[in-house]
Amino acid sequence: MAVLNQKKQKVSDEIPTSSMADIAFLLLIFFLVTTTFPKDKGLAIVLPEQGEEAQVSQRNILHLIVQPTGIVDVKRGEATQIQQMRPQEIEGLWRQEVTANPNLIAAVKTHPDAAYRYMVDVLDALHAANAERISLQILE
Amino acid sequence: MSIKGGGFERKSKTSSEIPSSSLADIAFLLLIFFMVTTVFQSDRDRPITWPEAEAAQKIDEKQKNILNIWMERSGTVYMNDQPYQMEQVSAVVAPLYSGSDRALVISIRGDRDVPYRFMDQLQKELVAAGVVRVVFAAELEQSMQRERR
Repeated sequence: MAVLNQKKQKVSDEIPTSSMADIAFLLLIFFLVTTTFPKDKGLAIVLPEQGEEAQVSQRNILHLIVQPTGIVDVKRGEATQIQQMRPQEIEGLWRQEVTANPNLIAAVKTHPDAAYRYMVDVLDALHAANAERISLQILE
Repeated sequence: MSIKGGGFERKSKTSSEIPSSSLADIAFLLLIFFMVTTVFQSDRDRPITWPEAEAAQKIDEKQKNILNIWMERSGTVYMNDQPYQMEQVSAVVAPLYSGSDRALVISIRGDRDVPYRFMDQLQKELVAAGVVRVVFAAELEQSMQRERR
């Protein structure tokens, strides 16, 4: 009978578990390394200290009046003449103006009913143009 | 001199290998522990539409020194998941600010369509609390998007 000659099977019938630890640690290390905590992004400004009011010559102020429509009225210091612009054009304007007058301050005056995003657009343009002296006000 | 054990040394039955069968369990336990305990944000997201800015930069401050102030379209202010009246803001922020050695950064997370009068009130409250460093949180805008507008 053939039963007598049957060879004992040498292949183990167990699932090999010795590499399981390696796989688990590999996963552990992978997740530890790839976890990134989302960092907030935004436009940083420095608020004035309370009661700190600086007198600035009108000559050094560039008025940027943000209207509820998002259009920006640009007024240079004492001049009465108003130039209307889109927020995206402020960047080029600021670069031009600041080379003419390095002491220039941007006074962003926003209409109370204007959406916040229009102010952010103007602030964004000023940040993009590396403006440092920015004053945020509300239009009265 | 007598031979120890009479020359019949018994074969040790203790395995000389470190038992590694439970190593997988330990590793998975650690994996699950870290997955469960990871907290991503202390305050949950509020339903706001972010304003977009091209020049938005990462806030260079430790997470514990950042206070998020949410402002919804209606002008409601939320701090740490609690709604507040506008007039309360400076009273709430001032002790937090002095408690952090004046290192606190305020991240204003305003809805893009909130009328500016609320933002102005909020800024005045923050000035009253003595806060200096403020960030207008915004989503990074790609220049491609900008050209389409």
